[in-house]
Amino acid sequence: MGLTWKLALRNILRNKRRTFLTMLLISMTLAILIFTDGYMKAMADVMIRSATRLYPGDGQIHHVEYLAERDGEKQIDDVAGHIAALQSEDMIASYSPRALDFGMVSSTANNLAVQVVGIDADLEASVSKLKLSIVDGEYLNNEGSDSQILIGKALADLLEVDLGDRLVVSLNNYDSDEIDQRLFRVSGIFHMNSNFFDKGLVFIQLAKAQEMMGIGDNVHEIAFNFVDEGLSGDESLPVWKNLSTDTTVAEGWTSLMADLASIISMFDFSMFIVGGILFVVAILGVINAMFMSIYERTYEFGVIIAIGTRRMSVLTLILVEGLVMCIGSLIIGAALGALITVIIGNVGIDYGSMEFSGVALAEVLRPELRMLQFTDLPFAVFVMTMVACVYPAIHASRIIPATALHKSL
Amino acid sequence: MKPVIETRNLSRHYGAGDTLVKALDDVNIVIEPGEFTAIVGPSGSGKSTLLQLIGGLDIPNSGKVLLSDKEISEMSGSELSDFRRDHIGFIFQAYNLIPVLSAAENCEYIMLLQGIPAAERKERVYKMLAEVGLEGRETRLPNQLSGGQQQRVAVARAMVSQPDIILADEPTANLDSQTGMDLLDMMHDLNRHEGMTFVFSTHDPKIMERASRLIHIEDGRVIKDERRED
Ligand SMILES: Nc1ncnc2c1ncn2[C@@H]1O[C@H](COP(=O)(O)OP(=O)(O)O)[C@@H](O)[C@H]1O
Ligand SMILES: [Mg+2]
Repeated sequence: MGLTWKLALRNILRNKRRTFLTMLLISMTLAILIFTDGYMKAMADVMIRSATRLYPGDGQIHHVEYLAERDGEKQIDDVAGHIAALQSEDMIASYSPRALDFGMVSSTANNLAVQVVGIDADLEASVSKLKLSIVDGEYLNNEGSDSQILIGKALADLLEVDLGDRLVVSLNNYDSDEIDQRLFRVSGIFHMNSNFFDKGLVFIQLAKAQEMMGIGDNVHEIAFNFVDEGLSGDESLPVWKNLSTDTTVAEGWTSLMADLASIISMFDFSMFIVGGILFVVAILGVINAMFMSIYERTYEFGVIIAIGTRRMSVLTLILVEGLVMCIGSLIIGAALGALITVIIGNVGIDYGSMEFSGVALAEVLRPELRMLQFTDLPFAVFVMTMVACVYPAIHASRIIPATALHKSL
Repeated sequence: MKPVIETRNLSRHYGAGDTLVKALDDVNIVIEPGEFTAIVGPSGSGKSTLLQLIGGLDIPNSGKVLLSDKEISEMSGSELSDFRRDHIGFIFQAYNLIPVLSAAENCEYIMLLQGIPAAERKERVYKMLAEVGLEGRETRLPNQLSGGQQQRVAVARAMVSQPDIILADEPTANLDSQTGMDLLDMMHDLNRHEGMTFVFSTHDPKIMERASRLIHIEDGRVIKDERRED
């Protein structure tokens, strides 16, 4: 084996420019794959966080029949039991019970249909960005007056109201089956940078909403967040079962926001496409370089086969040459990929408040390193390079000495 | 004495129909151990083809090659590889050496394939290189040696593994005539000392004079076989 390695190393150094270009090709393939993965992962994380952490939460609990028609009569009645369950899960960081139903909000200028959400101000602040989205006035105060109401900036414009102005909210009371109308004063205006929320939601205190809806202590929804939001997409975790009962079901964003889930899975597909294109280019490049180096040495292979080198040894020699270049390239490529990812991760890519597939990217994108970039990706590039070497190696091992030597003989 | 090389009705054709070339046509030769034989003939007469068939580098269309009574066409690919490694030394017209290996490493190559221990390899290589007059140039790469020196390394490599037969196809063709003659004299000396069988081809009349036996071929057929006094 010593001889093979010695020959391989010296042969690689023979045409330094070709070796350099071949190794550049392999190492750039890996570096680009590492960066692309880091970028895609960051993009997916930011999109998921932007979507879930703005308002919906990583997961939600509902009555099993609630979501089908958002029927206000389908409530979670054992709220205390669910909260106890949430508190006992180490993975869960925060939760917020919500009483919600469709209703009307009226100003002197306009009547509009909205979704009215009753929240516990402090608990809600731990789950969503509602509190952080207040652009005018104050967030709800649990100790304050029960006529506080938060509305979106866009809705305020449609209703032609401002801070302190009066609004009438009408909700169906499920106990009496009558319409319950109450007077509120606009105490805060929020801007979530999403028309759906800014035009369609108003927030009042939980107890007030429960009273108007006539649902006692029941709620319609309990939103919650994981400590590690990366886990929230894993539908196989036991936590989903633990938080569900006979009449209620806990679901994550992957099923609550199926559109987002399919966009995220498109990311994996994009990665696959990027990888596929890179691989085809790199494989062709490596095959070409290996063939050039073999064609140049046809006569030499003719001689060494003639003097008794076995064909297997020639095959091994070419594969070892490929292997040495590949290992070198993987080390360089991994370092390069890590460097690019870390540098761009530190600088960050700011998309402003650009909406991407309906989700406003709320954060600066920071491509991140992760384990598989230094295990799975180099392994894939390794397999690719070695596969690319097999055909040229077989070709070299099949050189017929009589033909190869013909020009001199 | 048992012949070391024997060909029986050996033929090798290229092409077919109108373009059929009988590179070798029904050749029967017998070479005894220790002979210093030249295959001579004009360019295209079939010298290389004959040496390649004897060396197992090519397969005849008909006839057979017996080396020490063993029929080489009956050997498998890797058997033949190993047979060439252990029993035949090759010297070609030029570019015999592996460019990335030094003179000594080139000589060592076959012994490495044979699995001979390092100490013995080194001793034999240095002795052999001294015998071909390359003492002190052992660590030079082929491109740091002259054409004549490269051919001497090739001779040393062919001989150092102590094969039964040395096949040399126009080993002097790329050398000027004095260098060529010196190389041939050196080969003849080694032939006398070591008793190895040498078969080489040439179309150079001055080189032919050095041989103790001349096999003339033309158009793939043996036309004359003469033994000469040294
Ligand atoms: N691989 C080949 N393909 C076709 N023709 C060949 C091949 N090798 C040799 N020949 C032909 O066979 C004949 C003998 O060639 P060769 O043995 O090389 O002659 P020499 O070595 O005496 O010059 C020539 O006519 C040559 O063109
Ligand atoms: Mg010839």
